[in-house]
Amino acid sequence: MAKEIAAPLAGRVFQLKIKAGDTVEAEEEILVIEAMKMETPVFVPWDGTIRKVMVKEGDEVAEDDILAVVDEEYIEV
Amino acid sequence: MRPYFEKMTEFGRALKKGRIKSTEENLNSIKKIEKDVADEVNRVKLAGFPEEKINARGQMTVWQRLEYLVDPGTWCPLHTLYNPMNNVEGTTNVIDGIGKISGKWAVIIGFDNKVMAGAWLPGQSENILRVTDLSKRLNIPLIWLINCSGAKLTEQEKFYANRRGAGTPFFRHAELEQFGIPVLAGIYGTNPAGGGYQSISPTILFAHKNCNIAVGGVGIVSGMAPKGEFNLEAAEEIIEKAKQFRAKPPGSVNIHHDETGFFRYVFEDETGVLEGLKDYMKDMPAYHPKFYRVAEPKEPRFSIDDLYRLIPLNPKRVYDFDEVLARLVDSSEHMEFRPDYGPEVYAGLCKIDGFLVACIGNRQEYLGKNYPEYADYPGMGGKLYRQGLIKMNEFVTLCGRDRIPIVWLQDSSGLDVGDAAEKAELLGLAQGLVYSIQQTDIPMMLLLLRKGTASAHYLMGGPTANRHNAFTLGTAASEIYVMHGETAAVATYSRRLVKEKEAGRPLEPIIEKMNKLAKDYHEKSRPLFCAENGLIDEIVPIHDLRKYLVAFAGAAYQNPKSICPHHHLILPRIIKG
Repeated sequence: MAKEIAAPLAGRVFQLKIKAGDTVEAEEEILVIEAMKMETPVFVPWDGTIRKVMVKEGDEVAEDDILAVVDEEYIEV
Repeated sequence: MRPYFEKMTEFGRALKKGRIKSTEENLNSIKKIEKDVADEVNRVKLAGFPEEKINARGQMTVWQRLEYLVDPGTWCPLHTLYNPMNNVEGTTNVIDGIGKISGKWAVIIGFDNKVMAGAWLPGQSENILRVTDLSKRLNIPLIWLINCSGAKLTEQEKFYANRRGAGTPFFRHAELEQFGIPVLAGIYGTNPAGGGYQSISPTILFAHKNCNIAVGGVGIVSGMAPKGEFNLEAAEEIIEKAKQFRAKPPGSVNIHHDETGFFRYVFEDETGVLEGLKDYMKDMPAYHPKFYRVAEPKEPRFSIDDLYRLIPLNPKRVYDFDEVLARLVDSSEHMEFRPDYGPEVYAGLCKIDGFLVACIGNRQEYLGKNYPEYADYPGMGGKLYRQGLIKMNEFVTLCGRDRIPIVWLQDSSGLDVGDAAEKAELLGLAQGLVYSIQQTDIPMMLLLLRKGTASAHYLMGGPTANRHNAFTLGTAASEIYVMHGETAAVATYSRRLVKEKEAGRPLEPIIEKMNKLAKDYHEKSRPLFCAENGLIDEIVPIHDLRKYLVAFAGAAYQNPKSICPHHHLILPRIIKG
């Protein structure tokens, strides 16, 4: 099942650490958003595989913009 | 009140594989700094004569005395790297900290007899005053291991006189005694002049058989009566007198035990002195911990070593403060105060070693589009806004009413600024917090998790709150400055840049100065700089942080000056509603 990772806040994509096809583990850092002089890491909540990356480094994003789509292996309860 | 505290709300969650993978570099970077700090601590330990040489004289070193005296596993050193006058000896020549002796907490300090036989050095009186302040704030005994050869005479102008000079600790000892706080002293070696007052100013004196204390020692007695200059005849006279007094130094045990009775006890062995101190510590005023504990002591549910991954070394990096706190407090349980108000500030009741403790810290995350409510811009954690300041004012005041010691966990970039913030009364609320702290007479400590910046550093229980802050701990990630170095460079040079531009001159020289200033700020904000200059009282390895919290809580509740019965506490009722 594919799940979307949304931007927690508006800002600039400062670091992108993933590409499509990467396998990720729960709570792995996938990118960093720079806003208000601070760097906010974005974590993937589940184990899975990156299906699609919607942004590139330097992009400005709004709060709730979709950053990536992940095929999750399972959903933790 | 058992139902309130026996089982509080659990918080925090275990780290997952991805987080562990993503934070490996952070962990290694922090451990590397901790290794550098440990090397510096080791350098202080090795200062002066080697241990073997001291032992060959039949003496123990101060470190050996401390190890014998303090209950195993309880020693929390402070001021180890403090050297504000940059002494070539690399130390102020006193070693101090908090530890248990015979099961009771005490502030303990000793002269390093490996370095100039424990002489007074520049910066030492400031170090001692921090220690007497600590004993006063926590209301626990001060234990001295005295072995003080007097002043380093070639640098006396740096420390002998002045308002906080080498004689001030003797007044502080008297002050502690006025407050009913005992000062016990084990006395070793030769203690002339200042060393004599170090020895006579405590409450009860435990002497080693070879020690002496005196108004003046061999050097002074044999060299009095100045003649205007030195010549060969004078030199011969000095040699003769020095031989005479060296054979029988003034103020030995036969005078100060047998004649004056200043020494309450004399011991054959060095360890006998320490046994004497241990024996007296058994009778020092102290409540049994069960008197104040609200629950059985329990370890946090998560490893403290997770903090190497949760506290980012990068000061711009956002993290989850609650996860940090969950690694420090008993059972990772709490009662949060006003969780729906002032989201940038955590305030809550926690347990440490079974004692009720208040914790206040800076949340770091994005605060949402609609906060702060008075501005048209979003808020970011680490900063302080109107609601957070109001919340801290309320919480601190209630802690004072309930007699609950406060642990501040600071990582702040300062207050919100601009006209909206001024209209929202931040300046008045900030000084209001200073007032709230000042009128709250309870022990506090500060753990500087990362940034200590702008006014937030002193508003949030920093060491400038002299009467309240028992001690301030730093980590490998700590940094202290009035503002970030780049901000300071802009503030200093922005108008100059405009002038140079308008005059058509090159900007590069100004840019070079700006970069130099920013670099200087960086270097002078690092943990080692902060420790050497006393901005923090100790850099503590993250693994040991809880040990210091346990010491603080235990010491704060050992003999508090006032009591709030558990069933009269109001703060937990306010939280529960």
